[in-house]
Amino acid sequence: MRISIYRYNPETGTDPYMQDYTIEPEPGDKKLLDVLMRLKTVDDSLSFRRSCREGVCGSDAMNINGRNGLACITALSALKEPVVLRPLPGFPVIRDLVVDMTQFFAHYHAIKPYLINDGVPPERERLQTPEQRERLDGLYECILCACCSAFCPSYWWNPDKFIGPAGLLQAYRFIVDSRDTATAERLAYLDDVYRLYRCRTIMNCTEVCPKGLSPSHAIERIRIALLRASS
Amino acid sequence: MKVFYGQRAWLLQRASALALLLILALGAALLLVGPPLTYERWHGLATSPHGAVIIVLFFAALSLHGWIGARDIVLDYVHSLPVRLSVLAIIAVILFAVVIRVALTMAAQLSLVS
Repeated sequence: MRISIYRYNPETGTDPYMQDYTIEPEPGDKKLLDVLMRLKTVDDSLSFRRSCREGVCGSDAMNINGRNGLACITALSALKEPVVLRPLPGFPVIRDLVVDMTQFFAHYHAIKPYLINDGVPPERERLQTPEQRERLDGLYECILCACCSAFCPSYWWNPDKFIGPAGLLQAYRFIVDSRDTATAERLAYLDDVYRLYRCRTIMNCTEVCPKGLSPSHAIERIRIALLRASS
Repeated sequence: MKVFYGQRAWLLQRASALALLLILALGAALLLVGPPLTYERWHGLATSPHGAVIIVLFFAALSLHGWIGARDIVLDYVHSLPVRLSVLAIIAVILFAVVIRVALTMAAQLSLVS
């Protein structure tokens, strides 16, 4: 199997370059991450993030043959050779396939990703009807892998100001939560030409989400919620 | 005070698109029904009070729609503040001039007819 990987080591001072590898997957190697792990035993200077290896932690997001995805759930059989691996586009590269996610998580924190409810807490949990709970489906499953934000041209141009699809999906997850009482504040924060309205409905986010979620739909729902709040 | 609005611009962009669509549909309907479209008929439509107002409205909606679209492109790609302001000013002047020019032409046509 031929793999071409983006290499960059700031300590050596050399420019980034693509390094070609040829490695034969073992019979048990089913996913791209399996081959990367095998490659790591051959060349331990290769850097990439990984943790759960089953599409839950979102650590091993990278650009695989021009499309963002998680190496751990990308089947080897579906890949065209040579497999070209690059770091997530638009993110500052720390080393090889490892990118700096500081800005990404700063946006995530800015949308206050936690339940806000200053009411008296009930004796047991805050109950929801099945319908209210159903509204969180397609939102709570986001693993913050950044595949969507790193595939969004609007995020590439304004990563410091545009919250990005991942952050907006998370924002909508709390806007739509029946237990949250800070909806007005959340919407007021998002009503900004940069934070929300840099989205141009390109829908790369929905196209590329490895969990099959639709950030563009969530963004549309936020716009509608804003419209309702202002009318 | 906000210099660039989020929701208001987004709404205006959609409202102007809707206005453009309606006027274009009206134009298409005129093309499809009625007598053949001769120069005299076009001229009559354009110089009637309703026609003139609709044409001015069309260009106003077009300019507004174009302004928000161009503004978004500039906000995305032009990050230097002096360059950004200059480009936005040039676009605003051109679009405003188009609307004024159309309004003046229509007014002149109407006064000629009446």
